[in-house]
Amino acid sequence: MPTASINLRDVGRRFGATRALAGVSLDLKPGVTGLLGPNGAGKTTLLRLLATALPPTQGQVSVLGLDPEVPAERTGIRRRLGYLPQEVGFPRGFTAFAFVDYIALLKEWNQPGARHAEVRRVLGLVGLSGLGAKRIRAMSGGQRRRVALAQALLGSPPVLILDEPTTGVDPEQRVVLRTVLAEIARTSVVVLSTHQTEDVAALCERVIVLDRGRVRYDGPVTDLTGQAAGRVWLADEPDPAASVSWRTGTGRYRNVGSRVRDGVEHVAPSLEDAYLLLRGGSPEHEPTEEVAS
Amino acid sequence: MTGWHLDDATLRRYVERTDSLAEGASAEQHLLTCEPCRAQVNAAVDVIDLAAVWDRTRDAIEVPRPSVFERLLRAAGLPAHEARLVAVASAFRGVWLTGAAAVLAFAALAAAIGHDHGVWLFLAVAPIVPCLVVASSYDPWMDPALEPELVTPYPALRLILLRTIAVLALALPAVVLFGLVIPGETPFAWLLPAAGFVAVVLAASTWVSPLRAAIAVSCVWLALVSLLATRPGSPDAIIQGRAQAGFLMLAAASFVIFILRRRQLRQLRPWR
Repeated sequence: MPTASINLRDVGRRFGATRALAGVSLDLKPGVTGLLGPNGAGKTTLLRLLATALPPTQGQVSVLGLDPEVPAERTGIRRRLGYLPQEVGFPRGFTAFAFVDYIALLKEWNQPGARHAEVRRVLGLVGLSGLGAKRIRAMSGGQRRRVALAQALLGSPPVLILDEPTTGVDPEQRVVLRTVLAEIARTSVVVLSTHQTEDVAALCERVIVLDRGRVRYDGPVTDLTGQAAGRVWLADEPDPAASVSWRTGTGRYRNVGSRVRDGVEHVAPSLEDAYLLLRGGSPEHEPTEEVAS
Repeated sequence: MTGWHLDDATLRRYVERTDSLAEGASAEQHLLTCEPCRAQVNAAVDVIDLAAVWDRTRDAIEVPRPSVFERLLRAAGLPAHEARLVAVASAFRGVWLTGAAAVLAFAALAAAIGHDHGVWLFLAVAPIVPCLVVASSYDPWMDPALEPELVTPYPALRLILLRTIAVLALALPAVVLFGLVIPGETPFAWLLPAAGFVAVVLAASTWVSPLRAAIAVSCVWLALVSLLATRPGSPDAIIQGRAQAGFLMLAAASFVIFILRRRQLRQLRPWR
């Protein structure tokens, strides 16, 4: 069986006069790739392009060797794709089982016995095996997110596109989901966006940092974290030399920056430190001219 | 243990549950004390697939039961999985039924009034209700699960047409019923305008949002009917053969445009 892959060449996407993505070239192989970036960086636009929910306005996208611009090939991609959008609305009155069953029908699971077994399997994967008959409206935010994730896992797709899969999910379930995704990623291309750097650190071999629609970093998580080595230190007060400082639970200040004074107390950097350093210390730098979807 | 044992025929009837109540009770009593016979029973009974039993139990609890509408679709010859797809479409549960109820209400009003104003009112509203409910059945604003639906291999075109046909199938029986109540042919006069407007909405949704198209069509129609209502004459102008032929041509031309531009339905992506 050929190895699953996604290839992007100089891909861009505009919404009218607004540029959401520009000049993105990527080759994605089986494994988990994390997308990081501030709000409006173009993460959701990129994921929607990969999921065939949106065509690019520039460049070429190839998913599993198929061209999403060609209708028959786009259908071929969709047969082997799992997609969790950033926001999923649920039809009124649906139970968790009914919703996933409905999406399974659209994914051509026409044989009722096999379909029901698959629905039960994916609900089990996300920890909802006992809640299939529960109405989605009566579920917590984290449970609803897991229902939405379950539909993406139908059929163990070779390409899995997940937009903020762990939003609202409690820590225990996040650990469970990481295990599930790591198992799937042995043979599938898994691309996920998140604001949780700890999810990326725990799950992803590769991280892509987007900023204003462009790729700012693309490489191993460990390399990105390594870039912050010697640039994170603790102090009793916020250090003016730091790009960003914040008060920790111990009452001391964690400082991140490129200009490090002598004699400071260095600490091991986290992925979040490295991300903030890359971003120039601005935790939420909103683009001024371009607003991405 | 006793010296007596269940013979093969009795054992088989017991295992297959074909024995009488008295024979079964007797066999049961004997099995409580006879190890060799219990061993024979164990050997004769097929292994029960507990997993399958559990799956069937969960199916009974979790699998949504077919609605009356879904059963009707199946009876009409739609394959089970497609009947389910159409029936569970979210819009069916709210907007579509509300639309059908609106048709009924206006028809009843027209019947109660029983003169030109009532008929004008009926003609103004009835033709636009189907196109509004059809549009709302697949408009991104009205379908909360659109994005996951859109990236499935199921053809969007087929889904839209199935929903369109289904909503029309819901409305038609209501018209027939009210046709019996309202004197004359007027209640049926909205059918061709409605078909034309539904086709226009389908065609226009290859350019703009379905709901916007339906609202635009509705506004134009309401303005036209209002204009005609203020002039001398009766609603017959809309019922005349020439006008009906115009609506038929509108429906045919719009449907051709829709088919030719069907690939543009990828723009069903949210405009929000």
